[in-house]
Amino acid sequence: MKNIKIIMGKELKRVFGDKKLIFSLFILPAILVIGIYSIMGMMISNVSSDIEEHKSRVYIVNASDSVKSIIDANGFSKVADIAYYTEDDFNKNADVIHNEILEETADLFVYFDKDMETKIAAYKNQGDEIPVMKYGYNKTSNYSGAAYSNFNEMVKNPYQQKLLAERLGNIELLNVFTTEEENIVKEAKANAEFISQLLPYMIVMLLFAGAMSIGVDAIAGEKERGTLASMLISPVKRSDIVWGKLFSLMILTGISSIIYSGSMIVAMPMMAQMNGEGMGSMFGGVSFGIVQVIELVAIMLALVFLFVSVIALLATYAKDTKTAQTYVSPCYIVVIVAGMLTMFSAGGEIAIEKYAIPIYGNALVIRDICTSEVVLEKFGASLIGTLLIGIICVVAMIKAFNSEKIMFNA
Amino acid sequence: MIQINNLTKIYKLSAKQMQKLQTKKSKKIAVNGLSLEAHEGEIYGLLGPNGAGKTTTLRCVATLLKPTDGSIKVCGFDSVKEDTKVRDSLCFLTNEIKLDPNFSPEYMFDFFGRLHGLSESELASRKNELFTVFGITPFKDKKIMELSTGMKQKAAIAVSLVHDPKVVIFDEPTSGLDIITARSVTDYLKTLKERGKTVIISTHIMSEAEKLCDRIGVIIGGKKVCEGTLDEILAETKAADLEDAFFNLYSVHGEKQ
Ligand SMILES: Nc1ncnc2c1ncn2[C@@H]1O[C@H](COP(=O)(O)OP(=O)(O)OP(=O)(O)O)[C@@H](O)[C@H]1O
Ligand SMILES: [Mg+2]
Repeated sequence: MKNIKIIMGKELKRVFGDKKLIFSLFILPAILVIGIYSIMGMMISNVSSDIEEHKSRVYIVNASDSVKSIIDANGFSKVADIAYYTEDDFNKNADVIHNEILEETADLFVYFDKDMETKIAAYKNQGDEIPVMKYGYNKTSNYSGAAYSNFNEMVKNPYQQKLLAERLGNIELLNVFTTEEENIVKEAKANAEFISQLLPYMIVMLLFAGAMSIGVDAIAGEKERGTLASMLISPVKRSDIVWGKLFSLMILTGISSIIYSGSMIVAMPMMAQMNGEGMGSMFGGVSFGIVQVIELVAIMLALVFLFVSVIALLATYAKDTKTAQTYVSPCYIVVIVAGMLTMFSAGGEIAIEKYAIPIYGNALVIRDICTSEVVLEKFGASLIGTLLIGIICVVAMIKAFNSEKIMFNA
Repeated sequence: MIQINNLTKIYKLSAKQMQKLQTKKSKKIAVNGLSLEAHEGEIYGLLGPNGAGKTTTLRCVATLLKPTDGSIKVCGFDSVKEDTKVRDSLCFLTNEIKLDPNFSPEYMFDFFGRLHGLSESELASRKNELFTVFGITPFKDKKIMELSTGMKQKAAIAVSLVHDPKVVIFDEPTSGLDIITARSVTDYLKTLKERGKTVIISTHIMSEAEKLCDRIGVIIGGKKVCEGTLDEILAETKAADLEDAFFNLYSVHGEKQ
C-alpha cells in the first residue's frame, strides 16, 4: 500500500509539476469546449437573424385587389419586395423567373388562377371547376423557404379564410368539433427528454477521451522512454506498480472529466442564449436529488476505472505510444457507438442483463437517472458488470507486467 | 555473491525481427551454457564483442529476464523464485534503462529510496555521500532532460546505488563519459569493492578491464571462452596484453559464429 502511494505521488507530480501539461490536459480542453460551443451558438444566431433581415423577392401573378389589400394589411409588403405581374407578363418571363429562383436571386413566385374570384363565386355543386393557385420556390434556400412560409401565414391563409367566410356566411360551420389535449407524463421525464439522451453519450465519450490522452503516455510512453524498466528493477511488486499507475490515472481522468463537464455546463447556456429560446430550457427539467447524484458519481467512477484499465492494458501491450494509439482508437469508436445506442433504443422495458454490458449498460443507467426511473437492481447490475471487466483487465495487466516478452520485447 | 549456473537464454524472434536480421531461424541463442561466479570484495569484468551476450547475461542476473535454462543465485536467492529479494540486494545500470527525464536527480533519488524502504535519515546520509562523490549537488534540482549525457549517467549511477546494494551490476558504466568522469566512476567501484560488495561490469574497453577488474570472463557468441585474472588470461593465450589476448581468443572462437 505504501509503495502504491509513493508511485501515485510521482505520477501525479509528473502532471501537476508541468505547466505545459496542465495547460494541455486541463485548460486547453475547457477553452476548446467553451470556444466551440460559443462559435456554434454565434453561427446559429447569425444565420437566423440574417434570414430575418433578408427582404424576400417575390413575384405575384394575377393578384386581385383583395389579395393586394391583405398583403398590405398584414405587412407582407414590408418583409418582401413584390413584383405584381399580369398573365401576359408572366407568360413572357416564366423562364427568367424560374431561373432566378433556381439561382436564388428571387425567392418565390405565386400564381393565382386568372379568374380566381369569379370562378370561386360561380361554384355551386360538386364537380364545378375549382381554381388553382401555384407556388414556385427553392427548398434548398433558407431565404426562399422563409418567403414561402411567410406568404402562407400572412397572405394565403387569411385570404382563404376570408373567401370561405364569404361563401359560407358562418365559418364555424367548418368546425364539426374542437379538441382539447392533456399531456399526461412524469414531469421529470418530459423535461429531461433531451438531456437524458445527450448526457449518457457525452459522459461516456468525455471520460474516455480524458483517460486516453493521459493513459497512453503514462504506460506506453514510459515503456518507450525506458523509464518503466527503472521501476521494474526495484523490489516493488509488479502489482503495486500497476495499481499505483491506475489510481493516479483514475484521479487525473476524474479531474479532466470534471473540467470537461464543467465547461459544457458553462458553454451550453451561452449557446442557448445567443440562439434565443429553445435550448435555454434544456437543463431545466433535470433536477438531481442526493440519491441520483450518488448513483451518477458511482457509475462515473466505475466507468473511469473501466476506461483507465482498458487503455492501460492496451498501452502495456504496445511497444510505443504510436502503437498504443492505434490500439486505443478503435476502442474509442466502440465506446462512442455504445454511448449513442441509448439514444436510439426505443422506450419500454430493457432486460436487466443488458444493463450489465459495460458502457452500453452504464449509458442506460445514466439515462434512467436523468428521468428518475432508475431501478436499484439494474443500477447494481451495471456497476458489477463494469467493475468485473475492469478487474479482468487489471489482472491481465499485472500478468503482462510480469512478462519479459511484453515488458522487454524478449 | 553471484553464481551463474549453466545459463542459457534463447530469444524467440518475431516475424519482423527475423526479417530485420535476415534469418530464417525463429530463435536466437544469446547466451549458451554460461557459468561463472563473482564474489564479495571482487570486481568481475565481462569482456566480449558486440552481440556476445553480455547485456543479456546481466539482465538475467537482474531478474528482468528469466533463464531459458540453468539458474542464477544472487546472495543465495534464486533469480526466478525469489526475484523480489534478489532485486532488493542488487542494483542494475544499463543504458536502456533510464530515469524519468521530467524529474530532478534529487526527486528520483528520494523516490527510489522510498520504494526501497529507506528511512528519511538513511536517505539523507546516502544522498549526501553519493551526490558528493559524483558531484551531482550543483544540478540536483534540474530536470534530468536538461542534463548532459555525462550528468545523466552520474545521476543514474547515484540513484541506482541509493539502497547500498550488496551486488552492483553495471553494464558499460563508463560509456559516453569523459575520462575524468569515467575515472570517478571506476574509483567509486573500487571503493565499493573495498567495502565488500560484489561488483560485476561489462565492457569492451580493454584498459578499463585491465586496470579495474580482479577477474575477467571473456564471452564470445554467448559462451565463456576464457576466465581468470589478467595474468592468468595472458598466460593462457600467450599474449602481451589484454587486447592481443582478446584477438587471439576471437580468432579461435569467433570464426565458429
Ligand atoms: N530483445 C531481443 N530479441 C531478440 N534478440 C535479441 C534481443 N536482445 C538481444 N538480442 C540478441 O542477442 C544477442 C546478444 O545481445 P546482447 O545485447 O546481450 O549483446 P551484448 O554483448 O550486450 O552486445 P553489446 O556489446 O553490443 O552491448 C545479440 O545477437 C542480439 O541481437
Ligand atoms: Mg550490451
